[in-house]
Formats: sequence, C-alpha cells, structure tokens
Amino acid sequence: MTIAAQAFDDNPCRPRHFRPPPCAPVIPEGPARRALEGCRTRLFFTSVMFACVFAVVALRVIEVVFFESGTAQSHMPRLRVPAPPIPARADIVDRNGRLLATTLDSPSLYANPKQILDAADATHKLVRAFPDLDAAEIYVKLTSGKSFVYIKRHLTPREQYEVNLLGIPGVQFQHEERRVYPDGTLTAHVVGYAGIDNTGFAGIERGLDTALKDRREPLQLSLDLRIQYVLREELQRVIDDFTAKGGAGLIMDVNTGEVLSMVSLPDFDPNHPGAADPDHPALSFADRMFNRDTLGVYELGSIFKIFTVAMALDAGTSTLASTYDATHPINIGRFTISDYHGKHRVLNVPEILMYSSNIGAAKMAVTAGGQRQREFLARLGLLKAPRIEVSEAAAPHFPVKWREVNVMTIAFGHGISVTPLSFASAAAALVNGGVLRPATLLKLLPGQVPQGQQVLSPKTSEQMRKLMRLVVEHGTGTMAAAPGYVVGGKTGTADKVSGSHYVERKLLSSFVAAFPINAPKYLVLTMVDEPHPNKQSHGYATGGWTAAPAASRIIQRIAPLLGVQPVDEASPEIQQALAVETLQGRRVENY
Amino acid sequence: MIRVGTLFWLVLVSTTAFAMFGVKFQVQALEDELARINKTTANDEHEIRVLDAEWAYLTRPETLSAMSRQFLSLVPISTKQLRTTVADIPIRPPPPAPLPPVAPSAPAETQTVVALTEPAPVMPGAPPSGHDGVPLLGPAATKMEAEPRQTKSALSVMPALLEKTSSTPQQAKVAQGRAAVRPSPPHRAKSLDDLIAQIMASR
Repeated sequence: MTIAAQAFDDNPCRPRHFRPPPCAPVIPEGPARRALEGCRTRLFFTSVMFACVFAVVALRVIEVVFFESGTAQSHMPRLRVPAPPIPARADIVDRNGRLLATTLDSPSLYANPKQILDAADATHKLVRAFPDLDAAEIYVKLTSGKSFVYIKRHLTPREQYEVNLLGIPGVQFQHEERRVYPDGTLTAHVVGYAGIDNTGFAGIERGLDTALKDRREPLQLSLDLRIQYVLREELQRVIDDFTAKGGAGLIMDVNTGEVLSMVSLPDFDPNHPGAADPDHPALSFADRMFNRDTLGVYELGSIFKIFTVAMALDAGTSTLASTYDATHPINIGRFTISDYHGKHRVLNVPEILMYSSNIGAAKMAVTAGGQRQREFLARLGLLKAPRIEVSEAAAPHFPVKWREVNVMTIAFGHGISVTPLSFASAAAALVNGGVLRPATLLKLLPGQVPQGQQVLSPKTSEQMRKLMRLVVEHGTGTMAAAPGYVVGGKTGTADKVSGSHYVERKLLSSFVAAFPINAPKYLVLTMVDEPHPNKQSHGYATGGWTAAPAASRIIQRIAPLLGVQPVDEASPEIQQALAVETLQGRRVENY
Repeated sequence: MIRVGTLFWLVLVSTTAFAMFGVKFQVQALEDELARINKTTANDEHEIRVLDAEWAYLTRPETLSAMSRQFLSLVPISTKQLRTTVADIPIRPPPPAPLPPVAPSAPAETQTVVALTEPAPVMPGAPPSGHDGVPLLGPAATKMEAEPRQTKSALSVMPALLEKTSSTPQQAKVAQGRAAVRPSPPHRAKSLDDLIAQIMASR
C-alpha cells in the first residue's frame, strides 16, 4: 500500500498543487485491478515504441549534423539550377571557328484585341513605330475580337525597346528565335538557310537538320571563310569578265576529302532567301538557289580526259610512249570527232593530254574497251550521286547501253554528266596516290584521315601528276601557272547540250588544278557556265582562257593562307620529280 | 517558480528556433541571389551571342577587304616575298670592334657604335627616358641625343629617324641591322637558334 502511495506521490506528472490524499489510496481488487494492470502494460509498450522511434530520429539528427553535413559544395548537386535556355539550333562555324550561322532571340509582337482599350490610338502608335506596317490592316486586326493576332514577327532589340516605350496595353511579345547568317551570300549554298520556324530548307541546314536541332555546341564545317571569299570573288570576276551565266568552284584537300570552299554563282542571301537580288533582278529564285557544285550535273568536257588517260595507264592498255594517230577526225554514226586546234599528226599519250586531243582520247578509250572504262568510272564514284552533308546531291546521267560511240565521247567528257563535286573527289583520288575518299563538309580532327579506297595504283597517280604538270607547262593550261606553286591541271571546254544537240556557241569552260603537283595538297576546280569571248581573250572563251587564269589567281591568293611554301620551279629536285621519262631529251612543242 | 530544467529547455528551444530561422532566411537570400545571377548569366550569354553575330557581320571578308583598300596601302604578298624562308636570312656579321669612348662633341656615327657595344649609356644632358621608354629606338635615340642642341622626346625622334635612315639606302640598311639586334650580343651568334636565344635573353 505504502509503496503505491509513494509512487503516486512521486509521479512527476502530477499537478503541482495536487497533494495525495492523506489516506492510503484504494487499491482496487479483482477485475478492476486486472484492467488497471492491462492498461499499464499497454501504456508501457506504447511508450517503448515511441521511445524507439524518437531514438531513431535523434540518431538520424546526430548523423546528419555531425557525419553527413559536409561542405556547401557537396550540397550543390541537389540544387535546381535553371539551365540557360537552349537555342533552337546549334551554331555553324567554319574550320577556324568563324561564325557562319547563329540563332538569336527575336521576339515577335502580338496583340490580344480583347485587351486593347483604344484600337485607333494603338494603331496610330504602332504605325508610327513601324512605318512599314499598313495602318488599315493593323486596325482590322486589333478590332477583330480574337485573342491573338501577330502584328510583326522577329523584332530587333531596338524595335522591342521602342514598343515597350509605347506602352500599349494588350500588346505583348512572344519569345521566338531566328537564324542569322552574318556572312550573307558568301556561304549561301553550303550553309543553306532555315525558315521562319527554324526548319532547315537548304544546304547543311537541311541536310543536318536533326543534328543541328539536337546539339548545343557549334557544328564545325571544313569550310575556310577566307578561302571561300577568294574563290567567290575570283569566280565573280570571271563571270563578269566573260559575261557568263554562272559559275561554280570547289577547293578540296586532296588528302582528306575536306571541302575548304564551295561556291556556286549566282547565289542568294540566306537572311532574306526570297528577296530579289538588287544587282540582277531578272534572276529567278530557283536559279539563285541552285547549287551548281552538288545539284548541277554537267558534261564537263576535256577535263574528263584525265580519267581516260588514267584508266588506260592503270589498266596497262597504254603506256606513256603509246602513240595514236590524230591526223584525221573520226566519223562514227552521225558524229564526227575532231580536235579543237588539232595538231593533225600522230600524238603520244602526254601530247594527247597536253593538246587536249579528242581523237587521241577517243582512240585510247576504244583500245581499253568500254567495259573497263565503265568499271573505272564506277570505281571513281562518278556513276552515282555524291555523298555529301548538304541536302542537294544529284545523280549523274550516263548511257545505260555503253556503246562504242559512248566510249569515244565519254573519253573526252561528253555523253556523261556528273556533278562538279563528284568530279573533284575523283580527280583528287587521281593525284593523291590513288585513294578515293568521300568529300566532306565537316571538319576532321587534326591528323584524322578518313578510310579511303585504293582506286588506282600509286604509280599511275604519279604519272598523272607529271602529265597534268605538262598541261600547265606546255599544253592548253599555261595560263593556270602560278609561279612557285607548281600547278598541274587540265582544261575543259564543253559544248552545252540544248535539247538533243550540242550548241557550238554555248560553252562550259572549266579547269581542274592541283598544287603543288609534286606532292599535291589542294585541288581547285573552277567552272564557268556560258562564258562569252572578250577582247582580252582574243575571241576565246575556252577553259584555258577563262577558268585557267582564274585558277591561277585563286591559287596565288589562297596558297599563303593555306601555308603552302612556294618553291623554285626550275630547281633540279622539282624538275627531276616531274620529268616524264618518255619525253626526256625531246623538245616539247608548246600548244 | 520556474525550474532550472524547464528554463534550460526553453532557452534551448528558442535558440534552436532562432538559429533555424536564421539559416532558413540566409538560404532563401542565397537562393534569390543565385536565381538573380543565373538570370544575369543567361542575359549576358544572349548578349554575347548577339555581339558574336555582330562581330562576325562587321568582320566579313568583304568589309575587311574594302576597308583595307581604303585605309591601308597593303597589297597581297607576292610569291617572290614568300620564297625567302627564315633559313635564307644570313646571320648578321659581327659588329665592328668597339672603339674607345670619345667626348660628347664627337661625330654622331661614333657615338652610335659606342651605344651598340655598351648597352644604353646615359648621355650627358639626355633625358633618361629615351633609353628605357622606347627600346627599339635605342641606338637611333642615342644618336639623336648625341648631337648638340638635341633634347627631343622619344616620340618626336621617330620621324627624324625615318628621314635619316631613308636618306641613303646603304645607311638605311646599316641602321636597320643595328635596330634589329639590340643590345649588342655579348658574342657572335653561331647559328640562327643561337641568335634567337640571344634575342630572347635580351628581352
């Protein structure tokens, strides 16, 4: 009893002013006692469970405070840092990191006509801020009762500021992005352009549309803007000089297949693709959009002879000493194959290329055979569409039935139409030791050389280099010489097809050059569409008079940019490296 | 009467509450600042993009070439100029044997030689900045200062130097040769690498 009373008195939870009654507490007996005992047990268990849970909490607090607190840095990852808004499309830069295309915020101005208080006043203010807007049209829009009307899309920051100054209620900005091409026309055909809703419509923008949308870091092209500028300027000069219809140019690294420059003229401004060219308002949109390098297929003419000669030399059906009679024109079917300013005598292989003899080339091809010719061209990738990053790539045109007349005409580049890009890749393989590498517009890593395909023997390639050097030294391409840079090349002058027959007056003049030809690094292809003779060219508009001098000027301007060291062309080493064995000791007759 | 224990817990609770709210407000302030900085960063990044585009637009090859034609009298490098490599440049012949120092009234030419062999001697009456301020003009400046009545500053010396050196080609070549290597090497360079090393050491 006393124990119980004592316990009652010691209860810490008892009210302070409550004293236990002086009498001993009544200890219940029987069922009441059992109930009390049970109650006590339940309380005990409950309190133990609470104690356990609180102990866990306490332990956790101790752990967090003393063992897991760490430094501020360890808590950084848990922070929700709002990432800067990702631009809708990645930038495009050239091989030196120079910006070619970028995406900028350009908010669009819209109105909620339901919130416009005074439509007439708002119209007046807006038209004063943007004089190009039509007041009547804006007024109709603002009173239309819709809840969203565009007033003007893609504002400049200054315009946005001015609209804010107007303070018209109900006029708001919508976040939008816009593609900007700082270099305008310069890279128009390569980079292409994206539409108002940032979808690629042409060039790289279309060809690599998804890639550009997915990536954040800039896309680096193999293009070099400086070289692009030189090529475009020189091509434009040739076009102006010879009042040509258009032109195309390509500069390629022969050892990697990287395209350093690609120009097609006439061109367009990707910032305003639909706008007419102020200088040539007559040119159609389609004409200016047309990429002659990858989408145009042309009968390139005599520059194709390098493939004929390489094919014959590689197959062993001709050697450098082989001779072919080019005295008389060849009559086959309704065609007559004759030489332009022919020598009318027996020519050896170097001479056929130097003087660009159609007869000789045709005879060489016939000796080698059509099957072999077709296989060789297929191996060089000339019988299929080029693989390139821009969306525009055209398949070549060639005869399905490869008859003898086709063999002859294809030997000098007629009867087969290929894109200048395909031609350049194949020509690069011809001079670089015989390895065909796919052309690319994306920059390769330094030292990275893509897997190529050996399409002709290194020996044939070396012979071709020597022959191409001869063309520039003594043949039809003397105007392509760039002193110090050891240019080798081949001229081409093709009659253009109009309907079903060739037109004499309409030419396609071209020149393919590689330099330095003793160890080729770069290939330059220039093509002029329908040049007309001028006074300086003495009535000629052939490749040797139009495209070749352009190639010379281009090489002299780009070589220092590309770090090609000029050499003394008369030095014994160079002469030795480029000497054609079969011509040694013989005086080479100039064209 | 408040018991000590209760008081202790009360103090503990209020301290904890104060500390907790203090930390909470601190964190809030920091988060606000972080958000502000992030916003500024995004703004700045956008501005940088605009400026990049602007820069690319202003430095288009067309614009640069037009400006170069307008403001510079430079022409493209000719092949002839490029054909000479660094290896082709001959090593400068050794300077003439040092002459004993002479009086300030001596001819200017002698003074220059002295100046070359003994780097930057302070001429009597010459402003000291003439030697330290414009290192490339060193010999020429000395030359000018050596002449009596010449107390020109380094800047006004420059046109005079041009005038002087362009008077005769021979003289110009000599002056250029001197200006290129200064101070005079302690020993003659045996190779190009040696020469470059000397030039680097003298800087």
